[in-house]
Amino acid sequence: MDISLQIKSLLNEAELYRAQGLFPEAKDKYHAASAMIHKIDKLKNKDSLLKAISGKIQSLEKKTEKVETGPTSPELSEKGQNLIKSLFGENDLQKAVALAKFGQFERAITELEALLKDDVYRVDAGKNIIRCKMAIASVDDAIDQYHQWLSGDLFTGHQLESIRAYLQPIIDRKGIDKSLPVPVGERDEINAADSGGIEFSMPEPEEEILDITSIGITFTSGTFKGKMVEFDVNFQSGGMLSLIISKNDKTLIDELKNGDSLDDIQFYSPIAMFKGTAVVANKTQINSGPKQGDFCLDLKIKST
Amino acid sequence: MAIFNLKKREIECKVVYYGPGRCGKTTNLEYVFKSYKKQVTGEMVSINTEGDRTLFFDFLPIGLGKIKGCDIRVQLYTVPGQVKYSSTRKLVLRGVDGIVFVADSLEVRREKNMISLKDLQSNLKEYGKSIFKVPLIMQYNKRDLADEGIPLMSIEQMERDLNRQLKVPSFPGSAMKGTGVGVTLKACLMETLKSLQREFKWAK
Repeated sequence: MDISLQIKSLLNEAELYRAQGLFPEAKDKYHAASAMIHKIDKLKNKDSLLKAISGKIQSLEKKTEKVETGPTSPELSEKGQNLIKSLFGENDLQKAVALAKFGQFERAITELEALLKDDVYRVDAGKNIIRCKMAIASVDDAIDQYHQWLSGDLFTGHQLESIRAYLQPIIDRKGIDKSLPVPVGERDEINAADSGGIEFSMPEPEEEILDITSIGITFTSGTFKGKMVEFDVNFQSGGMLSLIISKNDKTLIDELKNGDSLDDIQFYSPIAMFKGTAVVANKTQINSGPKQGDFCLDLKIKST
Repeated sequence: MAIFNLKKREIECKVVYYGPGRCGKTTNLEYVFKSYKKQVTGEMVSINTEGDRTLFFDFLPIGLGKIKGCDIRVQLYTVPGQVKYSSTRKLVLRGVDGIVFVADSLEVRREKNMISLKDLQSNLKEYGKSIFKVPLIMQYNKRDLADEGIPLMSIEQMERDLNRQLKVPSFPGSAMKGTGVGVTLKACLMETLKSLQREFKWAK
């Protein structure tokens, strides 16, 4: 093919790709045309042709940059957000979460905050608020939010612990050296006692037990007989310890049954190490959330 | 996942137009909206576009009327094609009942077609679905550009590239001109309804 026809064909292709929004492809063709023009010595208007192509390439580069650096989830109109809610969520929580998934974090937070009033949705709404805060602000904002809830009375201790158990691994994974305070006690019980309603006979106050950070269980029977396995304590309420055990350690957790007595436990606290015994109070598999499939093991300390 | 209301004898299903960026998914939906007024039951919504690129999704509700005593309603969606909108694509694909894969016939887009089809397979897999089992139709779009002297892949080459293993129904098309848009959608709806019939036995 005649070289001028080749150039014309390349420019034609480039123009069509540009019109189709295929900017990199258009740019390649303009570059190819430009290289071909450079090789021709006696071409009329050579300089002005090259200048025009260069201008086209620059314009394409600007457009490409705009596409590539543009926000992936710009804020939508209320109508657009309402459509997302109606198409991608069935209940109020799903609707709010759908907004977050489409990057509409501000509106999602507003809707999730309203759901905090609903006991059914409170914990999930809280976790999703944390998620939104991390997406639009920072982990520090999420931590501040946790502290704010900790100092208020909206959540029960148990609910707040669920949020702490969700947030703490995220903080750890990000390499941030911050430990979220574990909520103390269950506020529901305190509120019930203060409300002037039915009164139950109160158990004898328990002997004060130190904060225990981890324990080492030495198995006295079964496959792991004689071995000591260490676990972190995820939650402590008085003499009740909750441990989250990975599903990968299923063979180990299978050895432990409700009511089993563990007679050789090493307790580790920030100020002391001591030996004692405990009973397996409860063993459940976590059905949802980031720890899904893992096990929650509750141990009741018998003696220290 | 289609919603089957046994009491009202209503089925609502979801068809998603998938494919690489700029392949013509939105143009397909726009043509359906303009040309099938009787079936269209609501406005076509294009949620926020940058220039004319889809950033979120397009949505168009249509109704097929009563088929075997059941009222069939279909939600048509497009996904954003650009690679960076991967999470949005996955969200829109959730609960899909039928898929139209719009491939770009331009030779320079050969690799993008294959990447997008791979992406579809991987997203379906994450929802526990197999690309070999989901109702899927191929459309080889932009065939009209051959008239402009632009290098296009042959249909045979596109079949080899994209449909060698899948062996799903495929149609040449030009969404800009409307060619092949109706026949593609019709084939997809038929495959989708056949699949829903196997699942719900609604036409008994």
